[in-house]
Amino acid sequence: MNTAAPSLSTYQRVKRRTFEIMEGEVPDKYSHFVEIFIALLVVANVIGIILESVPEIHEAFMAEFHAFDVFSVAVFSVEFVLRVWSYSEKYIHSGGTAWQGRKEYVFSFYGIIDFVSTVPFYLQLLLPGADLRVLRMFRLMRIFKLSRYNSAFEDMVAAVKAEKDSFSSAVFLLFISCLLFSSLIYIIEGHEQPEVFPSIPAAMHWFVITIISGWGNVDPVTFVGTILVILTQILSIALAAILTGVVATAYTAQVERRQALYEMEVRSVLADGVVTEDEQIKLKIMQAKLGMSDEQVEAIKHQLEEEKHISAANKQ
Amino acid sequence: MTTGFKNTLMEILDGSPRHTASRYVEWAITLVVLVNCSAVILDSVPEIHAEFKDFFHELEFWSVMFFTGEYISRVWSLGAKYDSAHGGSWKGRFEYMLSPFGLVDFFATMPYYMHMFLPGLDLRILRVLRLLRILKLSKYNTALQDLFHAIHSERQAFGSAVFLLTIATIVSASLMHFAEGHHQPEFFGTIPHSIYWSIVTITSGYGNVEPLTKAGEAIALITGFLGVCMAAIMTGIVASAFSNQVARKKAAFEAQLREVFSDGNMSEDEQASLKRLQAHYRLSDEQVEAMMLRAKNKSSASE
Repeated sequence: MNTAAPSLSTYQRVKRRTFEIMEGEVPDKYSHFVEIFIALLVVANVIGIILESVPEIHEAFMAEFHAFDVFSVAVFSVEFVLRVWSYSEKYIHSGGTAWQGRKEYVFSFYGIIDFVSTVPFYLQLLLPGADLRVLRMFRLMRIFKLSRYNSAFEDMVAAVKAEKDSFSSAVFLLFISCLLFSSLIYIIEGHEQPEVFPSIPAAMHWFVITIISGWGNVDPVTFVGTILVILTQILSIALAAILTGVVATAYTAQVERRQALYEMEVRSVLADGVVTEDEQIKLKIMQAKLGMSDEQVEAIKHQLEEEKHISAANKQ
Repeated sequence: MTTGFKNTLMEILDGSPRHTASRYVEWAITLVVLVNCSAVILDSVPEIHAEFKDFFHELEFWSVMFFTGEYISRVWSLGAKYDSAHGGSWKGRFEYMLSPFGLVDFFATMPYYMHMFLPGLDLRILRVLRLLRILKLSKYNTALQDLFHAIHSERQAFGSAVFLLTIATIVSASLMHFAEGHHQPEFFGTIPHSIYWSIVTITSGYGNVEPLTKAGEAIALITGFLGVCMAAIMTGIVASAFSNQVARKKAAFEAQLREVFSDGNMSEDEQASLKRLQAHYRLSDEQVEAMMLRAKNKSSASE
């Protein structure tokens, strides 16, 4: 808000403001309102899609569903257009061109979701013969718009990236054992039960189901087959344990990283001895962004105070 | 005289380590609760019920008397919690009565009297309320409290996990509806129907319905795999929440220890309060030993 130079025209100021509200980087009343409104509309849309699939409800409220869909498409279209229009502001102050910000948005995950979940409606207007089910599937993509307001997806991707070595070795283990066990079971049980193990791909299907659920729906008839099934089941437990361990480590590491980041920020704020109001707001934003609970923040503050005491005592 | 007795009774019922009697009270209540729960379970077997009906009645009567006595003495003795300057005797009493423990104590006992006065009540509800008595044990075992604390302190992570779970359920159910709705309308005819299938698949790994199309099969496998991942995420969050909580408790205990050692010596009073704190945080003796050593070293080093 303060970054905008006073010499800007009204058009540029409006664009800048639109960008701030849409992006939601600076928390204020309006961006909060837009966020909640869009999130609620998406939730209503998803509930609508679910209810619409029940034939009785669909027949009784056909007109209402259609009106609601038109309204939602209108809102989402306005949202998309406003975003494309205003995202030119993103890099313009740091030397980029207007189209750099726009291109980045349009080809980002959210941009694609925003586009794909809205545009098929217009396609249907132009080509009325399109398959309704495909259209509904695209409408369902609106649910991913919610992930803009919840960091769960990003957190998961970040965690997997941070632990990619362990993940890839787990996947590798799974892949190797899939090849090995499904070929073995095909060789051993294929002659006895040709209807369930007619080929290695069919045996692979059995293997994946066993790994996921612990039971692949097939009773082995040979002794070696029984042992193979038992080994596969043990492997499925091991795989679950490995996955859990990796996720737990990744998650703990992420929490620690966040705490370290926050601690650094608090330290830099405390370095000059005073905490201004601006700095307090900055810390609050940081806490919300990092998704830290009040208890964690309290613990960090407590620890820093303790350190201060100790260093003061040492000086004396 | 009465105030002194009231105070002692409050401390005993509160499980204070200062009285040996508090441990016996704890054991007695635990024993009666366990006997009661076993009786409720056994009573549901028709043969046992027919044979020992009178015994169960007798047992129920005496346990209700016991729990009523416990409730009344708790309410009465908690009047000593705050003196008149800090809100008077009823503040402590109301605090207890409205706390989760107070409510459990009340609802585990009350239905019996209601049944006496209103004999037309549904017996099954009464039985379920009788099973509530097992929650009385959570006063002496902090597992439930620990779990709630852990969930509370990691509520954001849990929120994210629930968000992922909801999205996975809805998306897989809808895709399954689009893929199999025409082939198996009795299972996937509507999205609410498929949501049931998708929850079964996510929790157990394999759904209650065999998909017929290739696309449906692929969706089923992916959904099952997502279920494994969701279980891993949940377990990971809970595990790290618990270990974070233990770390927090240790830090709090260590801070207390340092305070005790700051004046150089440990009085008997301080020792007792540390013991109580240790029991409250459920730290093992070895952990406390290690922390004490560290605190002693630190205090001697700073001198």
